[in-house]
Amino acid sequence: MIALTMLALTGWLGVVAQGEEKISFNQHVRPILAKHCFACHGFDEQAREGDLQLDDRAAAIDAGAIMPGAPEQSELIARVVTDDADSIMPPADSGDALTTQEIEILRRWIREGAGYQQHWAFQPSRRPSTSQAGANQSPHAIDWFVNERLKAAGLTANEPADRITQLRRVSLDLTGLPPTGKQIQAYLADDSEKSYERLVDELLASDAYGEHWARPWLDLARYADTKGYEKDRPRIIWRYRDWVIDALNQDMPFDQFTIEQLAGDLLADSTPDQILATAFHRNTMENDEGGTDDEEFRVAAVKDRVDTTIQVWMGLTMGCAKCHSHKYDPISQQDYYRLYAFFNQTEDADRQQPIVPTPTKQQQQQQQSLETELQTLQAELQRLPEGYTEAWQSWKKQFDDQPLWVALKGPQLESEQQLTLEQDAEGVLHVQQELPEKDTWSLTLALPADQEVTALRLETLPKPKSTKWQDPNVVINELQAELITPDGQSQRLKLVRPRADFSQRNWEVPKAIDGDPKTGWAFSPNAAKPHAAIFDFETAIKPTAGSQLRLKIVQQYGIGLVLRDFKVSVSSYASDWLLAEIHPQANLQRLFQRTVYEPTIKLHQRIESTRKQITALNQSIPKTPIMRELPETRRRETKIHVRGNFLDRGDVVSGAIPSAFGTLPAEAPQNRLGVAQWLVSPKNPLTARVAVNRVWAQLFGIGLVETEEDFGTQGTLPSHPKLLDWLAVEFRDNGWSQKQLLKTIVLSDTYRQSAVTSAAKIAADPRNRLYSRSPRFRLSAEEVRDQALAVSGLLTERLGGPSVMPPQPDGVWKSTYSGEQWRNATDDNRYRRGLYTYKKRTSPYPAMLTFDAGSGEVCQIRRIRTNTPLQALVTLNDTVYLEAAGALAKHMQAAGETPREQIAHGFSRVLIRPAQAIELDRLLMVYEQFADLYKDQPEQAKRFLMSAGLEDGDPRLVAVANVLLNLDETLTKP
Amino acid sequence: MNLSQKLQRAQADTRRQFFAQAGLGLGAIALSSLLNQESQAAKPNWQIPAKAKNIIYLHMAGSPSQLELFDHKPTLSRLHNTECPKEYLEGKRFAFIRGVPKMLGSQAQFKQHGESGQWVSNHLPNLSKVIDDLCVIRTVHTEQFNHSPAQLFMHTGNSLLGYPAMGSWVTYGLGSENENLPGFVVLSSGGKTPSAGKSLWGSGFLPTVYQGVQCRTDGGDPILFLSNPDGMSRAGRRKTIDAIADLNRYQHQHIGDPETLTRIAQYELSFRMQMFVPEVMDIGKESKETLELYGAQPGYVSEAESAADPRRLYKGNDPTFANNCLLARRLVENGVRFVQLYDWGWDHHGSSPGESIDETLPIKCQQTERAIAGLITDLKQRGLFDETLIVWGGEFGRTPMMQNNVNKDLKKGFVGRDHHPHAFTMWMAGGGIRGGAYGQTDDIGYYIAENPVSVRDLQATILHQIGIDPHKFSFPYQGLQQRLIGPTEEGRVLKEILA
Repeated sequence: MIALTMLALTGWLGVVAQGEEKISFNQHVRPILAKHCFACHGFDEQAREGDLQLDDRAAAIDAGAIMPGAPEQSELIARVVTDDADSIMPPADSGDALTTQEIEILRRWIREGAGYQQHWAFQPSRRPSTSQAGANQSPHAIDWFVNERLKAAGLTANEPADRITQLRRVSLDLTGLPPTGKQIQAYLADDSEKSYERLVDELLASDAYGEHWARPWLDLARYADTKGYEKDRPRIIWRYRDWVIDALNQDMPFDQFTIEQLAGDLLADSTPDQILATAFHRNTMENDEGGTDDEEFRVAAVKDRVDTTIQVWMGLTMGCAKCHSHKYDPISQQDYYRLYAFFNQTEDADRQQPIVPTPTKQQQQQQQSLETELQTLQAELQRLPEGYTEAWQSWKKQFDDQPLWVALKGPQLESEQQLTLEQDAEGVLHVQQELPEKDTWSLTLALPADQEVTALRLETLPKPKSTKWQDPNVVINELQAELITPDGQSQRLKLVRPRADFSQRNWEVPKAIDGDPKTGWAFSPNAAKPHAAIFDFETAIKPTAGSQLRLKIVQQYGIGLVLRDFKVSVSSYASDWLLAEIHPQANLQRLFQRTVYEPTIKLHQRIESTRKQITALNQSIPKTPIMRELPETRRRETKIHVRGNFLDRGDVVSGAIPSAFGTLPAEAPQNRLGVAQWLVSPKNPLTARVAVNRVWAQLFGIGLVETEEDFGTQGTLPSHPKLLDWLAVEFRDNGWSQKQLLKTIVLSDTYRQSAVTSAAKIAADPRNRLYSRSPRFRLSAEEVRDQALAVSGLLTERLGGPSVMPPQPDGVWKSTYSGEQWRNATDDNRYRRGLYTYKKRTSPYPAMLTFDAGSGEVCQIRRIRTNTPLQALVTLNDTVYLEAAGALAKHMQAAGETPREQIAHGFSRVLIRPAQAIELDRLLMVYEQFADLYKDQPEQAKRFLMSAGLEDGDPRLVAVANVLLNLDETLTKP
Repeated sequence: MNLSQKLQRAQADTRRQFFAQAGLGLGAIALSSLLNQESQAAKPNWQIPAKAKNIIYLHMAGSPSQLELFDHKPTLSRLHNTECPKEYLEGKRFAFIRGVPKMLGSQAQFKQHGESGQWVSNHLPNLSKVIDDLCVIRTVHTEQFNHSPAQLFMHTGNSLLGYPAMGSWVTYGLGSENENLPGFVVLSSGGKTPSAGKSLWGSGFLPTVYQGVQCRTDGGDPILFLSNPDGMSRAGRRKTIDAIADLNRYQHQHIGDPETLTRIAQYELSFRMQMFVPEVMDIGKESKETLELYGAQPGYVSEAESAADPRRLYKGNDPTFANNCLLARRLVENGVRFVQLYDWGWDHHGSSPGESIDETLPIKCQQTERAIAGLITDLKQRGLFDETLIVWGGEFGRTPMMQNNVNKDLKKGFVGRDHHPHAFTMWMAGGGIRGGAYGQTDDIGYYIAENPVSVRDLQATILHQIGIDPHKFSFPYQGLQQRLIGPTEEGRVLKEILA
């Protein structure tokens, strides 16, 4: 990268130094000052040496460093040319020195008046004139600008690539996948110019487009499925990933895309989707490690949001301004914390909260249809069928004579702790003493005569506040019942079907009759309410006059969890009418509707089942962390962090955008929403440039500004400034449509030319910054995987959903204190697109990491492509690539009679183009070599098939498929 | 000629024809010339004469207690069980200590050893014998007091995730000496990876080619995906790689992309790595005496390595770390630039079983100190000691007070200390470092009394010894010339400890 900058620079400098071009401050002078001078004589007042500021014309003249028109009287020139080791600049010990060319430029610049210019990227972009450039053949403006520079360098662009190459290239670039069989057929069937454009439209309209273009955005958003740091616990935030895919597929205008992610929560009447979008900034890491200070990591997250926002939208680095003013760009430490103040007002604080349910489209539909169904059913119930009232009245009568429950009277209590009871008019029994710690009772009550008795009901009332016992709970360890006949005989009654209106967790009511005195029924934390438990007698009893019921009630828990005020009742009705409720008599109508009257029974059952479905659905809805502004009363005061230390607080600051870019309009909201609106306003010179540059870099491998992350004075200059501005203006004028932008680019000749290169072109432009050929570079980690799955027919094409775990080697996950495990998917999630692979920050998926995918820890503007032996090992040996080879071999086998036909089929499945004879010969050779290797080794052959996930098949074809999936052409964009 | 020979002859003909038709000459491309990443036209301005060629960094993840190993504090023992004075607590942030804790005297016995007369505890009987070779720095301090950020700070110079590891920096600067092996290798033991995970050997903003390659010793592939699939023999792999190379050459003939040639070379290298790596990783080739010296046992796979909570399974004679030490020697011997060992399980809070100063620390010492002493002795015997820099330490130290959030009083198996960033011990040896003690803490080991050493100083010194000027060595990222030692000039090379 450094080498290139030098090359580009010296190219210009050579021209300028010879006096052939007018000096431009931005193009020629600023790079020299930035490289050699600004670190000590720039914007950062704390780092400034000798009180000299060279980034400001007036200051430089005042200090005598520059005398416009008189280079030999300017101290600047004197100090860079002197022989005196003590006064030479840059200082001798810095190892830095100006070249004679650079000095000559400075001389000419001062002679010509030492004019300054605002840094190019901070000037508004204007649609450049195309009148001169347009004088050549191509209808595409892009080509005019590209050809202009090519011509100047004595180069010409290549001829268009052949049609199949264009097909594979544009398909990979727009969808991340090779073209489908149908697309290939349709495209090849029509060789008119229109067929390419039609193909482009079709690719842009496919779901795969959003999946592919979400990836670079998710790198920026530092999307991951865990929270980072030591514990690195899971975080459910895949709904945000799906939001990005949807937004891209709908071609949401980039300004709206921006505003919703940065401040969707602050929009008037924000929709659930707009709130979901704000998860963009909840992708920051959280530290769950024991003993950490939440405020420290909240602050780190807010700083990350500030840095990421400015990086992603403006291509500027604010990171250094955390500790001191920027040395090169006009961003002061004050600027940093003023922007920080806007982001410092959200509720989250290194914890998961706030999180909100974020149903998927399908779940929203399900929710809606279930709610509608519920309402319909309830309305139907309200209307009540004809004849209902009569039926109800007549049924109800029976309870006038015989209530549902009858309280038992005449209590006789034998208490180990000598307690006594009194009964009131309602039949409620009251313990007369302060409750003991524990007790066991034998309580005898009179039974009503001559009625069948089917069930027993124990009702407890809330206890008044006790001076002795704090806990109002009760534990019934055991409950036993006996029938005492008038002659004094006792007969054990078996209690069955225990039920209660409420039971404490792990203290469910069946435990009161399980024979184990250590367990029992209790009702914390709801002890402040009355509760009822019902037990049926296994066989109904028929008491006669003088029959009694004796209850043994064991209450041995301790700490006073003993009954105090309670009621014992019995019923004569059938068990299914006896519901565990507190007010059974008042609920008779409900009982009637639910258990007696057929037409309403059905309705109630349907309501109940609908309710259950709603509950289950709600439980399955993923909850996503989002941004939420603090209420007015809880706003944080923002102070400058001295030297970036959050504990060392300086002056109080209020929210503002960096001063070099003016201020927010007075009518704009003074919060995140205001910031977001300003980013995409025509006032902002950077956002559109940065966005189009990023898209360009995805297609061409390197941005027009190579330092995609730095459009400041330290970044590289654009290779084609006019093209960059033209694209930026087009993008904005076309309603910020990314699809339109992509279409414009991929229809250009520059994009469609062939990638063939020559020694001469490499010598003239080794890194192809002038586009004399189509850039040819390795596919991304995800594309390498997705392509292998697609051409082998394994790919599961399903949009969105929770992240998945395709096979990775055992033992890769071994992080501290985390119980999580990687479970290799055995269903079709094994073959999802790479985008959906679960991303654990401290242990990313190894195969993709090897291909330069990031770990999602911080905002990743670009992936630096490498070419390593470890990559070869992945595509040769990783399970997914072996299974892809196996599946591919199966298709090959089925597609032809002879090995040659089979191999030819495999070749064109992978590379779309037909194989040449010489290529087929070579592949056939490896086929025969494996035939030889496996000839006497059927076991070996069998095991190889199994490695490729096959039960049977042709191991020789699997070996050929393994070769096909590892070809340079396969791994590279054509 | 039998059938198989005929076939081979026919295939040789096919290949010859392929090359003839493709217009390629056999051996037309010298692979080595493509791989020579080290050759740099001019000496970069940060390069300085190197004292060490390789680095072995032994990180005890969790952070061992300096007060039980190297920092002898009789005054602290006298204050044992008294309440900690207020001035040590006010305005301080602790990870777990709450309220007023009691002082905790050393749980080990100290004696002076070697000609230098350094105080070393009874937990380190073997290391005591080579103590004169160690430069024991008792006055390291750090800015972080939680594991993950402190480990990141120690190894990447930044407490947040996303910065390159020291090993990545070093291989980015100096490359590897052996093109069949990665330049930066990571080995781990103790049953878990350290808190900050694989980010500790990530390459951050440097190209991923410089990330540490974790070599595994728990029975799986030593390097992920290194083995051919079951049923694919080495001979078979040779055939596939040849076919890939031939077709790629043909492709290059037509397209002319130099990157294709690099890919051919990298596939060839991967094939050589498949052979070479398992060979280097096989400590079974070592003599009995050498194995004995380290306490190593070839092929041993500890059950702690796959346990949910390995700490309960720690045994003093577990040779996993010893095996890694021996491997480290084999790796540097074969030109690996930076070998990073992580041993997990040194976080001795005393609040749950398997993490105490009184019971666990001695076991961890048994697992490691003989192997480390063995490594030093072995390197010396082989004449590698002077060119290998060894660094030992945790991410911070431990408090002179007992941790009191779970147990208020001393209880066997639950004696613990909290995290202590203000003063702790690390040591360096070999690679141009002078033996002897450096730095002095106060009477209770809380603060530094003289010669403070920051993490940045350590990083600067390490880079300096390997032949890199730490102040000039940088990489442009996010608008800054990023450096391992950070943006400010506070880090300095510790000239006083250089031989």
